[in-house]
Amino acid sequence: MSTAESITRSTNKTKSFFAGALAVMPLTIAVIPWGILAGSFALEIGLTAIESQAMSAIIFAGSAQLVALGMIKTGIGIGSILITTLLITSRHLLYAMAMRSHISPLPLKWRLGLGFLLTDELFAISNQTHGGQTSAQHQFDRWYALGGGLTFYIGWNIATLLGIVAGQSIDNLGELGLDFAIAATFIAIVVPTVKKPSILVSVLVSLTLAVVCAVFAIQAGLLIAAISGMAAGMAYAKFTNEGIATTDTPGADITPTKEDNL
Amino acid sequence: MTWLIILSMAAVVFVSRHLLLEPKIPLRLSKNTLTFLSYSAPAVLTAILAPIVFVPEGKLAISMHNPYLTCALVATVLAYITRNTLLTTVLSMGLFFFLYSP
Repeated sequence: MSTAESITRSTNKTKSFFAGALAVMPLTIAVIPWGILAGSFALEIGLTAIESQAMSAIIFAGSAQLVALGMIKTGIGIGSILITTLLITSRHLLYAMAMRSHISPLPLKWRLGLGFLLTDELFAISNQTHGGQTSAQHQFDRWYALGGGLTFYIGWNIATLLGIVAGQSIDNLGELGLDFAIAATFIAIVVPTVKKPSILVSVLVSLTLAVVCAVFAIQAGLLIAAISGMAAGMAYAKFTNEGIATTDTPGADITPTKEDNL
Repeated sequence: MTWLIILSMAAVVFVSRHLLLEPKIPLRLSKNTLTFLSYSAPAVLTAILAPIVFVPEGKLAISMHNPYLTCALVATVLAYITRNTLLTTVLSMGLFFFLYSP
């Protein structure tokens, strides 16, 4: 009896694990050019193959890695790199907050593991299973999340390795336009989140300032543009009584819908 | 130095992901902080992608001869209509490599 029970339980675990792996597959495929870019770009600016792979294996954050590599290339110091990393990664605070009710009761090894694997992509598939409803009303499956997170981790690292290998044999891989993969992926993520005028304001302010800073080669352009965009979005929402931001981003799960913050 | 950057970046990223999953950390983010953070994903991602699209060679290139810009516009329309990440990225990248290939 107990054997039968444990067999059933472990089949369910396996099933959930592979369901998660399958769910994250399209996003894993979409990230391949980007991983190739991360690997070849790291090599190009002078990192060793081991260091290049370690970025993907230890940091595991595509946008932060690529932005940091660009900063290393222009000789910017570690302090500025870390401040920029903090800004880029700040959205994970919201993801963690939204998944807190599910993950914080789990044992430490699960909290550490799923915390490490918590990316935009894992957050996206963990929300899909909830059918768009508030996640608190649904069963959170740790094996599903692990399957999705681990698959994406392996995919990202294989793509990075491909970039390192290709970067060693092909010289101008950086000129193949792989950076368009970043733009395409981010457009695909950002556009559906623009559901309110304040988010559109935030995006347009950020876009304009980022372009202006890039044209004048201002190194803190990303920080200036992103923080101004966030502030502009918030100011617009306050000014027009739009209420609390509710988007597809995790803010939707955690901010109350009552418009009482004004 | 490179290892110091890698390890300290890894620490910053991991802490931001893990911190609020810890039951011992009390939630003390104010509503204003949460509202401010809810704009971080669109604003940060836009600030990263905009220079790639508009300033590809270090110079402002608002022109239909800039494949980054034309394909980004196509991606925006596709994302708006389909709301499908994979379809948007695959189709716009396919078009990009078709236009960009020397």
